[in-house]
Formats: sequence, C-alpha cells, structure tokens
Amino acid sequence: MLWRAVPDDALAWREWDGEVVVFNRQTGSTHLLGELAGEVLRRLMAADRGATVETLAAGLTADPSEGDDAGWTAAIAEVLSEFARLGLAQPDTS
Amino acid sequence: MIVADLSYRELEHRLAGPGIRLRTGPVVSRIQSRLPAVVRGISLHYAEYPTEEDESFADFHVRVGRPRNVRRWLQPQAHFFVDGNLPFAPLPLDQAFPMLEWGLNWCVSAHCHQYLIFHGAVVEKSGRALILPAPPGSGKSTLCAGLVNRGWRLLSDELTLIDIASCSVVPLARPVSLKNASIDVIRAFAPGAAIGPAVHDTAKGSVAHMRAPSDSVRRGMETARPGWIVLPRYQAGVAAELTPLSKARGLMQMADNAFNYSAHGRRGFEFLVRFVDQCGCYEFAYGDLEEAGAVFDQLAARA
Repeated sequence: MLWRAVPDDALAWREWDGEVVVFNRQTGSTHLLGELAGEVLRRLMAADRGATVETLAAGLTADPSEGDDAGWTAAIAEVLSEFARLGLAQPDTS
Repeated sequence: MIVADLSYRELEHRLAGPGIRLRTGPVVSRIQSRLPAVVRGISLHYAEYPTEEDESFADFHVRVGRPRNVRRWLQPQAHFFVDGNLPFAPLPLDQAFPMLEWGLNWCVSAHCHQYLIFHGAVVEKSGRALILPAPPGSGKSTLCAGLVNRGWRLLSDELTLIDIASCSVVPLARPVSLKNASIDVIRAFAPGAAIGPAVHDTAKGSVAHMRAPSDSVRRGMETARPGWIVLPRYQAGVAAELTPLSKARGLMQMADNAFNYSAHGRRGFEFLVRFVDQCGCYEFAYGDLEEAGAVFDQLAARA
C-alpha cells in the first residue's frame, strides 16, 4: 500500500538536534516528531508518487538485510499510522 | 494624566459616569462601574496608570454592573459588559473586581490578534524577556510575583504578547493574580507589596491581586527582546534547578499555551520558530522563591 504525505504547502517544519516540529496548515496543529518520525515524513514528502512501508523501511537503513526485518517495518508502519491520525499522511486507497 | 490625579470621589463619579480610559501597555479600555469593589480595586491597583482623554479612542468599552433582574435582590451578582455584550455568566457581587481583571484579559486574548498571544507570565531584565508559559496551578503567577519583587520588571502575569513585526515582547503590566496559598506566600516574601483583599470561593479558589510595581507601570510601553522560555513547576521542599529543554519542546510548550497561534497559520509557526531560535529554553523546579530569584539573576547575568 502506498502512503502519501499531505501536500508540501500544507506543512511547515523545523528541525533542532534531531527533533522536528511540524505545523499542519490543514488542521492548524503543531506536532513534535522524534528523529525517526521526522525522517519518515521527510522521505514521504520527497516521494512524489508516495511510498510503501517496505520502501521506507529499506531506505532508512544502511544494511539491506534490515529492511526486511519485521520489527523494523512494523515500527515504520506504526509511524505512518500515527501520521494518519495526525493528518500528516494518508494511505492511497485509489 | 494618571488615575491618582483624581481624588477617590472624582474617580467614583467618573467610573459611574463617562468612565475612565485606562491605558495598560498598548491597550486602552474605557471602564465604567458603580460597584464600590471595582472603584476600590481601580483606586488601589491602577493609581499610577495613565488615562486617555474622554472621547479618545478606546479598544474596549467595559462595564461591570449589577443585573437589573430580581436576582439582584436575592443573590447579588456582577455582570461584565464589553462593547454592550455579555460574554460571561454573572458572578457573585464580591467577585466584581476579579471579574473585571478576568474580563480585561479575555478582551485582549480574544481580540488583539495583531499579536501572538500565549498564556504565560512574562518578566524582563536587561532588556530580555523571561517567559513562563504554563497552565494554571504550575506556580507561574507566584514565581512571577516573586521575581517582580526582586528587581525583574513585570510585563504580564497572564498574557504574553509578541509583536510579529518587531519580534519583541509587548508589556501588558496589570495586577498580578495570586491564588490560594500563594497569597500568603507573597505577603511573607514581599511585605511591602500592595495586595488587595482576598476574594473567596471563586472558580479559581481564593484570589487576591498584587499591584504592579511602579517601575513596571512607568515603563508600560517598553518592549523586551526574546530571552528565555522557562516551564516552572513548584514543588514544596525541592532545591531550585534549571534544566535545559530542547528548542523543539520549548516551541511545543509555547504552542500548547497559545491563544491565537494557529489563527496566524503558517506565518505564526514560522514566526514562533524564529522567536524560539532566539531564546534559551529550560524547565525549572523550585520550592523557594528567594532561591528561584537567585537562579534567574544568574541566568540574566550570563546573557
């Protein structure tokens, strides 16, 4: 399943020492993201056609074998599910 | 002209008639009231504040009065009117002065969107603002009252106004609202402070207001540069300790205590990022006001 971030112009963000604060214009809310969530969002925003959990998991590790690790992909899936709850990203159901 | 230029009788007549146009920082409020508690409160707390000419512009037209219905005979109450409207339910008559204060805060937080407005006390030293963004019960008003009785200038004990154009903190120095145990704490800590009578059984418990120091009133238009964002937490018996807080968490604390930040949209966020960039961010636990004052004096001296 593909995931897409909300449009670029809906988000503004700032990173300080690995922590990211992101403002979502669509909801008017500001969120604090940890290092992993910040990186997932950054990659999702850069992926014009969206990205799957597996693609994101593979891209976020230097060791290709870790990309298939069930615990690791579950962690990315959890981040995406939190993004959906916050209105930062949505699964592409089309 | 300042309020103290009027005799008590003249003040009473003015408030019962055309009102006084009271300037508090950038805000002018026309205030009318026949209620003795309001006259006494204004006489005590606002004696040194400037007034504007009658007929000049006022941001808010405020009146504290008694309802005209039968309840006024059965259970005396006070109403807060602003621009002819009643934004709140009435309160018991003895809460008329606190109601004026809460109402004036509401006027600013609900309308002055030229500023980014945060729920937090703010004081100044050496030109830099120390912001204490915190929910009720964190001890921010007590800490604020303590600091302004040890040389810090009061900008506000309740509303932090930030001017987006100049990136400066705008004063709104008005009486400091002390609640419950902090009333006696400040009476003991600063015996010279002018503290009005306690009003009991309000929604916030017992409330008494402390008059803003003269210097803070005189410098009521002098803005401050960004300095520090500090999350206070009072805890009986603990030693004062200032712990660094990440800027991201400092920004979130400001956002969580904002009145109108999201109304400014992306511009508000981007401004707040710039503001936080210029501040040191800390958490602060304290159990003693004298120690707390020493910690913040050191912080200001290092800047």
